[in-house]
Amino acid sequence: MFGFEGDTIASALHAGEVKTFSTSLVYNNPRGFFCGIGKCSSCLMRVNDIPNVRTCIAPLKENIHVEIQNRLPDLPKASFEQIPIESLSFDVLTIGAGPAGLCAAIEAAQKGAQVLIVDENQKVGGQLIKQTHKFFGSKQEKAGTRGVDIAKELENELNILKSQGKINVMLDSTVIGYYESKKNHLFGVVKRNDYKSQFLEINCKAAIIAVGAMENMILFPNNDLPGVYGAGAVQTLMNVYGVKPGKNVLMIGAGNVGLIVAYQLLQSGINVDRVVEAAPRIGGYHVHAAKLRRCGVPIYTSHSIKEVVGKEKVEGAVIIKLDKNWQPISSSETIVDCDTVCLAVGLTPSTRILSQINAEMEIIPEAGGYVALHDESMQTSVKNIFVCGDSSGIEEASTAMIEGKIAGISSALSIGVTKDKENLLKYIDELKLLRAGPFGDKPRAAKKIINKLVKI
Amino acid sequence: MKKKADVVVIGGGVNGCAIAYNLAKKGLDVALIEKKYLSSGATGCCGAGIRQQWSTKENVELAIKSVKIFEKLSDELKEDIEFRQGGYLIIIHNDKEMEQAKENVRMQKSLGLTVDILQPDQIIDIVSILDIKGMKAIGATFCPKDGHANPFKTTFAYAKAAKSFGASVYTHTKVTGIQTEKKSITEVNTDKGKIKTSIVVNSAGVWSKQIAEMVGITLPNKPYRKEIMATERLKPIFDAMVISFKDGIYFSQQKEGQIVGGIPIPEEISGYHTAPTVSFLEHMSKTLTSYAPCLKHVNLLRHWTGFYDVTPDARPILGEVEKLNGFIQCNGFSGHGFMLCPMVARILTDYIADNKSTQILEKLNLERFKGKNFDKEVYIVG
Repeated sequence: MFGFEGDTIASALHAGEVKTFSTSLVYNNPRGFFCGIGKCSSCLMRVNDIPNVRTCIAPLKENIHVEIQNRLPDLPKASFEQIPIESLSFDVLTIGAGPAGLCAAIEAAQKGAQVLIVDENQKVGGQLIKQTHKFFGSKQEKAGTRGVDIAKELENELNILKSQGKINVMLDSTVIGYYESKKNHLFGVVKRNDYKSQFLEINCKAAIIAVGAMENMILFPNNDLPGVYGAGAVQTLMNVYGVKPGKNVLMIGAGNVGLIVAYQLLQSGINVDRVVEAAPRIGGYHVHAAKLRRCGVPIYTSHSIKEVVGKEKVEGAVIIKLDKNWQPISSSETIVDCDTVCLAVGLTPSTRILSQINAEMEIIPEAGGYVALHDESMQTSVKNIFVCGDSSGIEEASTAMIEGKIAGISSALSIGVTKDKENLLKYIDELKLLRAGPFGDKPRAAKKIINKLVKI
Repeated sequence: MKKKADVVVIGGGVNGCAIAYNLAKKGLDVALIEKKYLSSGATGCCGAGIRQQWSTKENVELAIKSVKIFEKLSDELKEDIEFRQGGYLIIIHNDKEMEQAKENVRMQKSLGLTVDILQPDQIIDIVSILDIKGMKAIGATFCPKDGHANPFKTTFAYAKAAKSFGASVYTHTKVTGIQTEKKSITEVNTDKGKIKTSIVVNSAGVWSKQIAEMVGITLPNKPYRKEIMATERLKPIFDAMVISFKDGIYFSQQKEGQIVGGIPIPEEISGYHTAPTVSFLEHMSKTLTSYAPCLKHVNLLRHWTGFYDVTPDARPILGEVEKLNGFIQCNGFSGHGFMLCPMVARILTDYIADNKSTQILEKLNLERFKGKNFDKEVYIVG
């Protein structure tokens, strides 16, 4: 098989119509990938005799040997180099190089902090790189610019600081834990090289957690069949790697993500059978829904998916009407002919590292689940641990970027490399302004609780 | 919350739940108080091993009888606790250890245990991935009837069965005080209400010390942080638990495929700290891969800490204390509370319900620490 430079193993396999990557542990069912961004572990394969490689973020290389993993894997067989644990120190560690993390790292470095930014992917930008649509919101926060272009702008800023020696970038690397330390904060990082991993110790005075969110899964029979994807995964395949996820798509969820991805599918020449939405009204912007309707794609509100049919892959789906209490109405099923089911049913903040740090956490439904409580400076209940972007509560890229800037400046102030507070207050005001519109209701309510509860 | 109970059990670990079950089954009115959730302390962090090979007689007896109960426990509690017997392989590294092993195997056999001393080549027959040279092994002892069970499922199964016999289980409830009059208990106070009782079982793990302090009794127990890790899942490779007293390591493969194991870090001191350390990662990975070099590329997936509630002789404190009637100790297990719980719960139940004492209870009473000479359990890992 072949692929292009910059492909991941999973995207190249998809382009070659290979969609089953492993079989499940208990029932031996075929499994393909679901989230497409390294979070769900549904894409594990054996690569060069190393098991459990996350193929959705592992780079495609020449002459590699990729095998389907049936249930539990065999022992790895690769050669092993004994390297002593390397220990590195920085002022600020930023975990995640998406919109929030990039803005945080750039601000902190500009204020004089020595910064390390770590990301699991092959390139920086996080989920911005798949957002080919133009942003809404305020002009200052890049309204009218496409996400992928914002990523490029941020990458350019990052590269300048990198060339000045103010920021270090570590890609294809994962922060795996937070450890006991006599002073400062101590993290463990695994750096991958040829699908093998090396452990490093990172000491830092402050850390900014900007690790994003995970795509939600909903419960229905056969939700694990290859062909059931998160909306983000579909966007990644299409917009980052130029791979069509399927021919005929059923979209679940009519929030902005579901509507935008449905429209982008149409633009790629893929048929969207319909969009179904469990709520009685469309959740996303009217303008996105209208575009879809003009193209003849129906949006069924008060409908949900009942099950997926198929043996080895998605061969169709059954949808069902819901009553006003969100309960299925019997005998209201419709069979939908599709080879792909796309779930755009919301996100859950990634917060595991924050729980491990022992930051005070709360379940806040408006924020998407468990989040770390934080103050206006984005500091959590643990001194010098900051959080921003979706991992601080689900919102959108424009607010994530401002939160990142606030966290970046706050971290620099907190460790004493700067005393300049001017921009901090400006950004805090901008954030309030961005949340002022009707779509800011939920985040406003969420952030009010998140901020109110924090004790620092 | 109920107003009175025959017995109040403090601590919802596997021992507290097992005692509540046995007492309730005998018809006693039991209230179990747990400050967090069931198995939230040491039980839920443990390595899940069940071993009968010990250096002291009382531990061997307790363990043999516990295994007899474990063998039928899934049926008794009507829940699968995932008990399985893959054996425990204890690696012997030098002549001194071999002498001790011979002596202990003799004692263990005299108590009815099936256990043998293995030559180095026989070790590989039990666990094929071990490297005799890497481990610096000169032999091993092996008991095929040692094994594992699921600590969570065991605890929940005991608690559920206890409730079916009428026990009340109060989780997220904190004991705030114990009222006494003369030499007797009158009431247990919690943040959710008061319960009149004359008997309290102190099975609160590393927090037993604080419970005893409420009635002016000092326990010699010390909390020690213990670290443990689980790797990614792999096809089944071996059934036995491998342990070494010299290196302090223990590891086994769980039913789901992950290898779970631990090792102490040399700089560890007593205390209530819970953060995991990089030092553990380094120690564990170096020692584990010297034992089984084929695990070198296996990823560690999780790493967590729990507590050992350690007594001066590394043996549990069981039974009623002299100073206060009805104050029953069930703590100080020094890392082995899970594997001993079925029999410990029965012995204490016999004592509370039927006033029946045993030699084990007399030997493992708190008062033994008054003297300077006590038998120390030396077969400790982790």
